[in-house]
Amino acid sequence: MALLEVSGLVKEFDGKPVLNGVDLSLEEGQVKVIMGPSGCGKSTLLRCINRLVEPTSGRILFRGEDVTRPDTDVRALRQRIGFVFQHFALYRHLSALDNIKLGLRKLRRMSDAEATDRACHELRRMDMEEHRDKYPAQLSGGQKQRVAIARALAMDPAVLFFDEPTSALDPRMAREVVALINQLFMDNVTMLCVTHDVFLARYISDRILFLDHGQVRAEGDVEQLLDAHDDPQIRAFFGPGTRAR
Amino acid sequence: MSDWIGFFQDVVDYGPQILQGLGNTLLLWVVMTITGLLGSILVFYLTLSQHRLVCRLTDAYISFFIGTPLIVLLFLMYYGLPQWGLRLSPFTVAVIGFTFNVAAYNARYLRAAYNGLDQEELEAGRAQGFSSRQVFLLITLPQSLRLAVPGLTNQAILNLKDSSVAFLIQYTEFFAQVQELATRNFQYFKAYLMAGLVYLALVSVIVIVARQLERRLVRPIGG
Repeated sequence: MALLEVSGLVKEFDGKPVLNGVDLSLEEGQVKVIMGPSGCGKSTLLRCINRLVEPTSGRILFRGEDVTRPDTDVRALRQRIGFVFQHFALYRHLSALDNIKLGLRKLRRMSDAEATDRACHELRRMDMEEHRDKYPAQLSGGQKQRVAIARALAMDPAVLFFDEPTSALDPRMAREVVALINQLFMDNVTMLCVTHDVFLARYISDRILFLDHGQVRAEGDVEQLLDAHDDPQIRAFFGPGTRAR
Repeated sequence: MSDWIGFFQDVVDYGPQILQGLGNTLLLWVVMTITGLLGSILVFYLTLSQHRLVCRLTDAYISFFIGTPLIVLLFLMYYGLPQWGLRLSPFTVAVIGFTFNVAAYNARYLRAAYNGLDQEELEAGRAQGFSSRQVFLLITLPQSLRLAVPGLTNQAILNLKDSSVAFLIQYTEFFAQVQELATRNFQYFKAYLMAGLVYLALVSVIVIVARQLERRLVRPIGG
């Protein structure tokens, strides 16, 4: 059974469709990258799946359970999906350690000592333990994104969603984060990643999904999509510079 | 010079009453600053409601209390309500009046601070699985309070100065006692100058504490 199966997903804002019948499936341990031009609905798709945005119609099965039903426990669903944001979205009034502990204490009901242990473990995994007492304003962009990933992983989610994880970073920091996500890929963490970053897509993904005008225009492995695709619009999007190096 | 010595002698003689008045001023200030802050957190929470009617009523509340002179409200309760059979003590009227007024102002400061928050952080809270109330208590409120510290401490200073209005509803606070002293020895200039200096000293203490608070709470988290 797929971890996630989306079928015929539609989202309209003021009658204007942003997602127009999206089908998507994600197996356990799989990594998929969603690419496409700005405004094609990539971020909305992620937000519909965890119900931050209410879909207009369509079906989303999460481990076989229809999570678009009105009686769905939305908060429980969200706790099973780790979400990493483009601009990191760390809680600025909390230190790196407390950012991770907040969910563990208030949602997982862990004791302070347990939450600290768990948070330190995740910070170590992200090579960030020495920065545990720093506030987000005292961290670089790359460091913030590491803490954001640690915060998501600490909740032990079934899948990690990344919404443009490298687009707010300079190239050096972006490469660091790509290496980290790649490490997660090696560790068999299930991930769904929205990005414009071809370098990231090449590095981490089994499959790439090309979204355009709210629809999946193509899906294939990296070589198929990034290198000389038949569709001229997809070729135009990725451009000649993205071909195999 | 002998004038001043005579005046200070009067102050010493009338000292117990002045000190009692100062105690009443500080009591009213502490109570209204706390109740005004707590009230403002409730009003602030209601301004974020998803229900349009609740938002409108809350906005109307804020506009009414910001737009109405406090003295009108105090007189309405102290001199007006007894005509309807409801008699409240000066302290009770002062606390209720100031609380409603201060809560409206503080709610505005908090709301302005909220507008400066990074909405993605609040979305991150919802994405983690926190309820709306948890997002408010754990993320929105601590951040808004920190950003609103300069406005809230200014309001605390205003509270102390405005507390002198309470003498008009028979609350025997510091200024009422200074007034009493002045009518006894007819040294109006010296009495009111002393009152002004005492208020200035108290405000200076609040300002020093407020700046410390700002340094500790606002600076580490940055922009």
